[in-house]
Amino acid sequence: MKVALQGRELAVDHSFAAEIRKRTGENVFLCYQCRKCSSGCPVRSWMNGSPAELMRFAQMGLAQEAMESKAIWYCASCLTCSVRCPAGIDIAHVVDAMRMMAVEQKVPAQGAPMRLLNRLWMVILRFSGRMYEMGLVGTLNSLNRTPFKDMGLGAKLIAKGKLNLLPHPSRPFEVMRLFNRARARPEGARSRPLPERAERKQ
Amino acid sequence: MKVGYYPGCSLHSTGREYDISTRKVTAALGIELEEVKNWVCCGSSPAHQADEMVSLALPALNLAILKEENGLNEVVAPCASCYSRLRNAQSRAEDDDTRHEMEKVSGRKFPRDVRILHAIDLVLVKTGLEGLKKKVVRKLNGLKVVCYYGCLITRPPKVTGVKDYEVPQSMESILEVAGAEPLDWNMRTACCGASLALTSTEVVRELTGKIMADAASVGAEAVAVGCPLCHSNLDTRQGLNGAAPIPVFYFTELLGIAMGMKPGELGISRHLTDATGILDKRGLK
Repeated sequence: MKVALQGRELAVDHSFAAEIRKRTGENVFLCYQCRKCSSGCPVRSWMNGSPAELMRFAQMGLAQEAMESKAIWYCASCLTCSVRCPAGIDIAHVVDAMRMMAVEQKVPAQGAPMRLLNRLWMVILRFSGRMYEMGLVGTLNSLNRTPFKDMGLGAKLIAKGKLNLLPHPSRPFEVMRLFNRARARPEGARSRPLPERAERKQ
Repeated sequence: MKVGYYPGCSLHSTGREYDISTRKVTAALGIELEEVKNWVCCGSSPAHQADEMVSLALPALNLAILKEENGLNEVVAPCASCYSRLRNAQSRAEDDDTRHEMEKVSGRKFPRDVRILHAIDLVLVKTGLEGLKKKVVRKLNGLKVVCYYGCLITRPPKVTGVKDYEVPQSMESILEVAGAEPLDWNMRTACCGASLALTSTEVVRELTGKIMADAASVGAEAVAVGCPLCHSNLDTRQGLNGAAPIPVFYFTELLGIAMGMKPGELGISRHLTDATGILDKRGLK
């Protein structure tokens, strides 16, 4: 089958949808574009697209379009789309899979620096076992070239005793081993569907 | 009555007063909290966005620690994100293959019989509204409050088991017993923008602005929350668009006040948007 996207002719390829299914257990072909996800999406206006459009990209095999979209990096994981989808698709879970694929395939992130935040978070977590907010925000803002962002707020939080100046590691070696074991897993065994899919239809 | 306590990273930093008030209120209700021994971060949103197996194995590790090292079967996670990640791991572990993977990666046996509660559930399940009524020594004098649940206390219902997930009422029922007047409003389960506060602050400013505007439009004098990130976003991003500030309380702080505690000992002075003024006005010093 061929479809046209803004004048371009495209061959439809199901491998993207199949990969999403393998990772999340979600079947994107159940989407019939009712757009309930998009009307309830709180960050829709920053997306240059919508959750419904991401589902359509997935159905059409437009992996590049999905992974390059601003939508996947503005999703706040609020799960409004997932609970309202009449077809029972956990859309936020599909977006998570798209983000991971975009990172694995080194597709440059559009718009939000959320990807950088995620990366820093995982590094800090891996080596200390607990979050170190000062380190996270400091590094994030420096790498984002906005070193003074929220500095006044940070100072107020420190004065109120709400930010720790030093990290408080917990079980760093156990957590590091956990990360190593997760990284060492073979591809394809990343995740499996939720049990009892039928129960979600209630 | 001993229950495991998983504060999570936020309650040790930006949500410190939630930690303080939860401990004080549960102690007064006769619930003994025992902190999960050397708990580790649940991974929160960045983990499920970056590495699915890590996001399942970290909660699995914490639940295993609770079971093996604390010897407990129940845990309360007051942070909505921690609660959600723990519950999510539990529901995913119902699948045998996924559970075996989680056990391999976390290096511990997954305890299948742990009951995971949010702080709201803890009060409702362990004390109940009748029991709570007996502990309330001073009514909140009809303080007009709107209850803000945010995303993860109720969603997704297949994981949290909440039935009225679009219009939840559990926090309202608790605060009503405490003598507050919960108002009906539209933004109970709207999203505050969560961690976009760090990366795209304009999103959070607009979303929290809408939430606070709705609270003001129904005449709320206070907002009650049960999530440290919601609190942080609502409390610290006010006063930028010229609207009159509305204090944001953790529901545990309001419970503590109703149980006769002083705002100072509950950590209420740590808020950035002044919250002691309205309490003084109501004679709740």
